[in-house]
Amino acid sequence: MNEIIALAAKDLRMLLRDKAGFFFAFVFPVVYASFFGMIMSGMGGGGSSGIYVVVVDEDQTESSAAFVQQLSDLDALNVITTGRDEAQDLVRRGKRAAMLVLPTGFGKAREQIFGNPPKVGLGIDPARAAETGMLQGILMGELFGDLQRVFTDPTAMAGQLDSTIDEVRNAEDIDPLTRTTLLTFLPALKTFMTKMPDMQSDDSSTDGEGTNNAAGFMQPKIEKIDILPQRDGPQSAYEITLAQGAVWGIMGCAAGFGISLVVERTRGTLVRLRMAPISLWQVLAGKGVACFFTTMTVGIGLFVFAAIVFGVRPHSYVMLAIALVCVSFAFVGIMMLLAVMGKTEQAAGGIGWAILVVLAMIGGGMMPLAFMPAWMQDVAVISPIKWSILAMEGAMWRAFSPTEMLTPCLVLIGIGIGSFGVGARVFKATV
Amino acid sequence: MLVIDSIRKQFGDLVAVDSVSLSIAAGEIFGLLGPNGAGKTTTVNMCVGLLRPERGSIAIGGAGDPTNKDVRRLVGVAPQSLAIYDEMSGRENVTFFGKMQGLRGSELKDRVAWALEFVGLADRQKDKASEYSGGMKRRLNLAIAVVHKPKLLLLDEPTVGVDPQSRNAIFEHILALREMDTTIIYTTHYMEEAQRLCDRVGIMDRGNLLAIDSVDGLINTHGGASRVIATRPDGEEVEMQTDDPLAELQRLQNNGGLQTFHVERANLETVFLNLTGRALRDE
Repeated sequence: MNEIIALAAKDLRMLLRDKAGFFFAFVFPVVYASFFGMIMSGMGGGGSSGIYVVVVDEDQTESSAAFVQQLSDLDALNVITTGRDEAQDLVRRGKRAAMLVLPTGFGKAREQIFGNPPKVGLGIDPARAAETGMLQGILMGELFGDLQRVFTDPTAMAGQLDSTIDEVRNAEDIDPLTRTTLLTFLPALKTFMTKMPDMQSDDSSTDGEGTNNAAGFMQPKIEKIDILPQRDGPQSAYEITLAQGAVWGIMGCAAGFGISLVVERTRGTLVRLRMAPISLWQVLAGKGVACFFTTMTVGIGLFVFAAIVFGVRPHSYVMLAIALVCVSFAFVGIMMLLAVMGKTEQAAGGIGWAILVVLAMIGGGMMPLAFMPAWMQDVAVISPIKWSILAMEGAMWRAFSPTEMLTPCLVLIGIGIGSFGVGARVFKATV
Repeated sequence: MLVIDSIRKQFGDLVAVDSVSLSIAAGEIFGLLGPNGAGKTTTVNMCVGLLRPERGSIAIGGAGDPTNKDVRRLVGVAPQSLAIYDEMSGRENVTFFGKMQGLRGSELKDRVAWALEFVGLADRQKDKASEYSGGMKRRLNLAIAVVHKPKLLLLDEPTVGVDPQSRNAIFEHILALREMDTTIIYTTHYMEEAQRLCDRVGIMDRGNLLAIDSVDGLINTHGGASRVIATRPDGEEVEMQTDDPLAELQRLQNNGGLQTFHVERANLETVFLNLTGRALRDE
């Protein structure tokens, strides 16, 4: 075992010193996933942007419609309106980051200063917490903005006070002392507001204090709506390109280690290793361990990068770990097959990459399989790239159950065992 | 130390080694001389367990067959191709192959330091092998071969492509190893090297071991007569083969005198020519 570890450590050390190998193993996948993720998500320019929100207008008043329009005009939001059930479904499936419900009475509450504050219901996708925090900030800003407009418009303010005075006068559930107090205070306030319009205007426009004071009267309320996610689609384009990027990185590792085995043969170090008191299987196992470790590192590194930079979260970390292990295992076997493709470094590299690129093309490594014709999707079953992407997507956003995960994982393990067995036998026969 | 008994190896229709037998004593430097394709490397590969003979047997140090891992621990090899990792330093190379030989801990550290010192690379041990000259790489190749202190060392064309200075340094290292009682098999097609270093020489051609003896023994047995080339005072050039050059020169001096003369004694080249009918360097 010590010899296998020493062999693997030597290969890893040499990989880190090989600038081209390091780039294709660790940097290229990140560039690939970032670049294509950006293009597919529209960040490349011209496409719609902002937080994807679905609004449910249950109030159906002029005021609520105006508020929806107000939100639609914001660059920070991408708004569609629909019914509650559909909205809930869209968020549950990850198609929209949040649903915003304007309940009955929202329009009226929005326009009055006193009485019940405006309420909105907010249903969020738990996986989109960062965007939802931003959305809450935008909503509060817009609702406080309404309040500020009422305060700074004396006519609107007078109308609001008249309406409130009438409500107090007609209300049956207010005790006499409170009614008397309010009917004294509110008319006095109306007189004060209408007779000193300039001062009102100045006060409210000088700074944000007016708004803050208004908050003391009635603070808008955002009520949480619980939504259980049922994710049957990717949350963002990065989740699609991430698996593809990882596969390219892993292919780079497999090709690199396959070629390194050929280099060991051509430069004579393999002969020296075979003359040492170790078996050929130990030599190949050392190479396999190094390849496995590197592919795992590439996969984990890429997913950590995507989590930090793009906020991508897998549906299941355990499933993702299992997927990465199976993918790495398969590519260790493929590495062994590539090592016997040519007798020279150039031949092995050329033939190996040609095969890998074709497998990537038909397996969805270049373009998602969903965009390919049906017959191509059928052909893709022969490509380990398809099963690798499927396993990673199953853990990322397809929300595979353990049973569903079994198929791609078993196929990948089978590919790993078969490829390594055939490759190692051919290698042994040819050294 | 090494007993080879009637080994044979065939690749397709080509018989690479045929009925080769020899025995090498501990501390001996044995030269295997022959042109490219003579079967030297195939013989060496069978001696280190890389190839199995189809017939015959090989035993090392009384421990048995070199295909056995424990027996291979007794053997060190410096292959003809520079089997080193250019991306790693000299020290990293020797340490890695030391680990492959089963060395660990302080023993590994001490042996690596000794091997690098032995071949004169201690001061360049941290440099990448790619920065070494051809001669330094050859020395590193040798350091890797001796790091585990083998009892039997196989040096396959260890001076190919090195400058005279490095070649002399390698010779000194080989002689020093003999002083340490290491048995050495030295394959080469440079007869001067075999003459200078080897206690005994085996001459191979087309898979056969044609003769084994000390250098002097081979020359005496198979070298034939010496060649005398002389010029008379009138400018006439005289050339003759003789077993007694001094007597022949005396006779020429007495019969008309000599202006210049030159004696070419038989050497391993001549031995090879006489044994195979063709020159060693023509191959």
